[in-house]
Amino acid sequence: MQLKIRDLNKVYANGVKALNNVNLTLDKGMFGLLGPNGAGKSTLMRTIAALQDPDSGSIQLGDIDVVNQKNELRKVLGYLPQDFGFYPKISALSLLDHFAVLKGISNKGERNEIVTGLLQQTNLFEARKRNVSEYSGGMRQRFGIAQALLGNPKLIIVDEPTAGLDPMERNRFHNILSEIGEQVIVILSTHIVDDVKTLCKQMVVMNKGTILMEGTPAQAVASVQGKIWTRAIDKELLGEFRSRLSVISHAISEGKMIVHVLSDDQPEEGFEQTQATLEDVYFSTIAKN
Amino acid sequence: MFKEIFSFELKYTLRKPAVYVYFSILFLLTLMIGLTISGLFETTRSDSNTVANSANAVGSILLGSTSSIFSILISVLIISISSTAIQKDYQYNMHPLFFTKPISKAGYFWGRFGATIFATLLVFTGLLTGYIIGTLPGLGSPIMGPFKVMHYLQPFLLFTIPNVLLLGVLFFSLTTYFRTTMAAYIVAIVLMMVQILTGTITAEMDNKMLAAILEPSGSSALRYVTEYWSPVEKNIRLIPLEGALLYNRLLWIGIAVLIGGLSYLGFGFTQTYQPLKWFRRKEEASTAVEPALLTLSDLPAVTQNFSGSGTRTQLWYLTGFEFKKMVRSLFFIIMAALGIGMMVLVLQFIDTIYGASTYMVTYKVIENVVGVIQLFALIFVIFYSGTSVWRERESKMDELVGTAPISNGTLFFSKFLGLSFAIGLLFLIASLAGIVIQLYYGFYQIDLMQYLVSILTNMVYGMVLIGLSVSVQVYSPNKYLGFFLALLPVVILPIVFGLLEINNDLAEFNSTGAARPYSDMNGYGGTFNQWPFYSLYWISIVGFLCLLAILVYPRGKEINIKKRWKLSAYFNNNRFKGLMTVCLLVAVSMGGFIYYQTRILQDRTKPKVAEKQSAETEKKYKRFEQLPQPRITAVTLEADIYAADKRLEVKGSYVLLNKTNEPVDTLYFDYAGGKKSPYHFRVFDPSVPFSVVSDDPENGIRILKLNQSLLPGDSISFAFDMYYEPRGLFDRINAPVVDNGTFLNNNILPSVGYNANAELSQNKARKEYGLAPKPRMASVNDSAARMNNYISNDADWIRFDVVLSTDKGQTAIAPGYLQKTWEKDNRQYFQYAMDSPILNFYSFLSADYQLKKDKWKDVNIEIYYHKGHEYNLDRMIKGIRKSLDYYTVQFGPYQHRQVRIIEFPRYSSFAQSFPNTIPYSESIGFITEVGNGPNDIDVPFYVTAHEVAHQWWAHQVIGGNVQGSVLMSETMSQYSALMVMEKEYGAAAMKKFLKDEMDKYLLGRSTEGRGELPLMLCENQQYIHYNKGSVVMYALKDYLGEEILNGAISRYLKKTKFSGPIYTNSVEFVDSIKSVTPDSLRYLVEDMFEKITLYENYVKALSFKEQPDKTYKVSLTVGSNKYYADSVGRETEAVVKDYIDIGVFGADTTKAAEGIPLVFKRIKMDQPEKTFEFVVKEKPVSAGIDPYLKLIDRTPSNNTANFGDKPKLPNLDKKGTTITLKVGD
Repeated sequence: MQLKIRDLNKVYANGVKALNNVNLTLDKGMFGLLGPNGAGKSTLMRTIAALQDPDSGSIQLGDIDVVNQKNELRKVLGYLPQDFGFYPKISALSLLDHFAVLKGISNKGERNEIVTGLLQQTNLFEARKRNVSEYSGGMRQRFGIAQALLGNPKLIIVDEPTAGLDPMERNRFHNILSEIGEQVIVILSTHIVDDVKTLCKQMVVMNKGTILMEGTPAQAVASVQGKIWTRAIDKELLGEFRSRLSVISHAISEGKMIVHVLSDDQPEEGFEQTQATLEDVYFSTIAKN
Repeated sequence: MFKEIFSFELKYTLRKPAVYVYFSILFLLTLMIGLTISGLFETTRSDSNTVANSANAVGSILLGSTSSIFSILISVLIISISSTAIQKDYQYNMHPLFFTKPISKAGYFWGRFGATIFATLLVFTGLLTGYIIGTLPGLGSPIMGPFKVMHYLQPFLLFTIPNVLLLGVLFFSLTTYFRTTMAAYIVAIVLMMVQILTGTITAEMDNKMLAAILEPSGSSALRYVTEYWSPVEKNIRLIPLEGALLYNRLLWIGIAVLIGGLSYLGFGFTQTYQPLKWFRRKEEASTAVEPALLTLSDLPAVTQNFSGSGTRTQLWYLTGFEFKKMVRSLFFIIMAALGIGMMVLVLQFIDTIYGASTYMVTYKVIENVVGVIQLFALIFVIFYSGTSVWRERESKMDELVGTAPISNGTLFFSKFLGLSFAIGLLFLIASLAGIVIQLYYGFYQIDLMQYLVSILTNMVYGMVLIGLSVSVQVYSPNKYLGFFLALLPVVILPIVFGLLEINNDLAEFNSTGAARPYSDMNGYGGTFNQWPFYSLYWISIVGFLCLLAILVYPRGKEINIKKRWKLSAYFNNNRFKGLMTVCLLVAVSMGGFIYYQTRILQDRTKPKVAEKQSAETEKKYKRFEQLPQPRITAVTLEADIYAADKRLEVKGSYVLLNKTNEPVDTLYFDYAGGKKSPYHFRVFDPSVPFSVVSDDPENGIRILKLNQSLLPGDSISFAFDMYYEPRGLFDRINAPVVDNGTFLNNNILPSVGYNANAELSQNKARKEYGLAPKPRMASVNDSAARMNNYISNDADWIRFDVVLSTDKGQTAIAPGYLQKTWEKDNRQYFQYAMDSPILNFYSFLSADYQLKKDKWKDVNIEIYYHKGHEYNLDRMIKGIRKSLDYYTVQFGPYQHRQVRIIEFPRYSSFAQSFPNTIPYSESIGFITEVGNGPNDIDVPFYVTAHEVAHQWWAHQVIGGNVQGSVLMSETMSQYSALMVMEKEYGAAAMKKFLKDEMDKYLLGRSTEGRGELPLMLCENQQYIHYNKGSVVMYALKDYLGEEILNGAISRYLKKTKFSGPIYTNSVEFVDSIKSVTPDSLRYLVEDMFEKITLYENYVKALSFKEQPDKTYKVSLTVGSNKYYADSVGRETEAVVKDYIDIGVFGADTTKAAEGIPLVFKRIKMDQPEKTFEFVVKEKPVSAGIDPYLKLIDRTPSNNTANFGDKPKLPNLDKKGTTITLKVGD
């Protein structure tokens, strides 16, 4: 099964172009959608999840025309939005059961099994009787992925799932995600480059509604390999460097300002070539546009 | 800090569009009320002595808009503007940002509160400005007084501002403390209950003051302090901030300040969350051990069922989910508990006549349950449809649910059904509570069928409302606006329709057309003929709204309705479109059918149009008023009542005798006409040759010319054959013939001569059509008017014979003696004949009756009653016997050989005396529960005595059609009944009755529209001829003595009975009393009958000293003022030279509540204040002047005082009683 997105456009009432001619083809596996805040990632996800209509363009999941067959899509969709909450005063067990009903699992025995299974899978079984609204951030996200896995989803969309999680929780979450990625199409939207590096087979970089780069993380890194130069500078000089060179990123490390510059050759005296990372790809792509 | 926060918050609040919507609604509402009063709309006019821009009137408008259901609207409004001022920070998790800033608690708390409450007050100025502008066009007309700013401002300052502050601070505090608006809503409902309850309790006189103080809005207090105001006082006085009103305002402002202060003290930036919940679930210790991860492939396989059965599973599951959420909420539990509490309280006070309650019959319980619980259900539906529709979005689950494979329809209807089941449960609980209440009161004839019917009809009503309310919430961009929009058709629309006299039940939301109350005799009386049609009409309209709402059901983040429509466009398939079309078709066809039934078949003329028609009729026919006409001297009728078919056939003939001195050649008939009259005439013929001059069926007037004039002293007969038939299915409910309990009188039959009673009576309206002002009644000495009695204008004393037939199994009854009864064609016939002349005033009744018989001397006593209504038969019989005992001895012989009481359904609640026949409503005496206390009035006994007295007072003596004639019928019947009651129950038992009568008189004169008149000139004003009449006659008996008074009365009766024309008048009656009155009391008779007299009797000082010989020397200073009032209540002080009782009372209250009199004597008050000294043997407790309230006094409480207390002195300077609030005026 393949997800094909063709010429997707969306302009909001306030004039913001959220999607600009987006074209994507996704196969089974984990797909990373990388971009800064406000890049249009959530709009794209919501549009794929049929929570919004595009102004133009089409989305095809296998033989489902998403825009016109929303209900067909919903039957095979698992969705974990960026910002979500739960009914107050309801236990994880009851709420997951609630979602199972919404997903059309009408057999009570099956429902019990899958709900128990998923709670175990996401390590929430022990806490199943606690109110979801009292869960910690990591537990909430795990619960979120549990509900997304209900039914037999062919497409799973997770929007910024690891934001705000501690490293342990993030690892746990990655483990779950990577396992899912072996079976279905998973779209992972994030602004954390590491997530994509660890998890994704395919990725795009997106900004201002436009796809800037597409490929595998390895391909992406290869594209800038040998072109990344680094140097420690005085903080005050950053402005000067930026005006002179194509600085793609700067960061404070051990009290010094380290800048990364994209250049085919050594840009200046004092710059050293460095091993390119996905982060460099991301920043250079954003910086270029 | 306060200033910054205040101004920021104010700007923020004033940017909300809702604020302007609310302002506009309040503004438009009072604007419309004002403009309607000013006469800008086509509405009918009625006469009034009070103006609409007095402080009292403005106050009532400002407060009147706080009727129970409206008060909820007001609460929603205040909660939505102001109570979330701080709570919203918690809701959006902004509070850490504020609480960590260097702002002061006071600045934050009061700044936020101050700004929003200020904004709320701005919204409420809409009420005031709307009314000011609305009343401006009326200035200069008699309905408006001169424009005075204070008249508008004072009530606003006195009521609106404190009330908004009170509600504002209450709701704000609760919301801030509990961090949810729920608590505020619950309190709003509690306040509404207090309002309803105080309204109910005030029906009992003794609780008035307490209720006035406790009722939060101040409307009871306003009513209480102004209740005895004369019209002129109402027009010119400001509202006095004193007594109950002052205490009320102080109490509630105090409560507001206290709550505000407490919540400020309790509020802190570090305050931890206090969730509003019943039980705190025990936290489970979560074990840190996590089991080994399973792999995804280990997850069991599931099947997703998207077929019809799967959808049904989803729907039922979600319905259950919603239902549980609702009924387990604190809100529901509190509502149910409050509802039951209200039922218990309301039922105690409802349906009382002179303090006597009725038995807990099922319909009484249900009607009050319906009133209370329906209101609660309404609030619940409005509130929970918002909560339910917005639940996903508020808990941020909307995207999770939005991407689930579940249809909009399932989501929508799960909420709809959840709510339906919840209110179903509410109605069920209420019904069970009703049954328990019935059992508690020892009433076991519980009619379960009535409970079922009420649940069914309430459910249909409720589900229509739910459909509307849930759909509105789906359309609405926010929840609060949704609340408001859903309440509009329920609350505002009826007000507007009422104002504009729009009587269109197709537009009145959820109306079910004409209905009759449930009657034990006649069941639902045809209510269910139209109910299904109306219900289907509303169901299909609301069904359409629901389907439309499904198409724009919110999924995801789209707010725009068009985009939502597009998003769910796939749902709008042909089947769905078909369903919508069906809804529309059903709505149109039901609407069409209802329209045809109610507007094409029936006459639904607007009141204003009817008024115009009536004016035109008068202009056209008034000239015939003086046309000499023969008079009816005998009536012979054959009337066939077809109860099941609601038909009536009458064949009749009148003997018309020319009693004038000139030949009559033109006959003028008035008959039941109208544009779409259900009455039809087959025969309408005098027995001599004639020609028709004109026939006007619309007005029901036919003028005939006799070929040969009818000479003086000659008579002819006039025959008619008429039938009544309902116009269509829906008209059956208006039929005077009912299944069981038909009660008709002769006004459906043709009458002779011009009928001046049908003329427009309101002079304001008459002026509009160029008609001369019309006196309410002819002057007492108008000898032309005295040629008619006040009951009939075409007959004097008549002979009467009738043959009645009715459905088999029923008994038909008319005045007269049963000659024979027979059965023919499956119908029962009854022949009645009267053996003595009677007034032209008779009735027909028919029902399936039980009969109870008794005999008093040679008089047959018969009570025809509905099976099951045996409760008071013995009291009625006793009433008849005692009445006959007293009246035959005191007044003169009874002219008939039988007295019959006949029960009729509760569509009217009165008893009425026809010759030897007394129709008696099932609601007035048959189900009254008479208590055993010394103060309990035996209402069935009293009503019976009153009606039996009419056999003398009205059926023997009848006054002319002039002022004051009701003195000899109604007042004398009241007096007669009072005397029978006194003989039976003792003088002490009369006190409560007379106190009620005094109260009703004083209240009545306060709302008089045309002008109060002295008793002798009374123009059919009930508060005068009944209530003042009772008080006056009872006092007169006391002053003159029973024997002397009754002697004069019986001589008058003997002289005037069965005489006329020319008919007697009240002057002759009062003269006969004067003839036995000593000169010293002549002033009293004049004060009582010829003037409007009010006393202000009071105790000025009282003290006593114990003497050595164990006696007590009492000194008592009392004062008396007397005022004569004119027709609008302007008073002039009169010189007091009156005989008044004074008394000193001891401690023994076993025989009378005020104690046993130690001294009781009648003294002459020849100066305004006078001191008396007595020596008494027992220790005195209280003393006073006119302690038994024989004289009319607006402040009876200061007539007596306790020794040791400081007497409450009256404020005798009328102008000084107003406390003016000075606001730059």
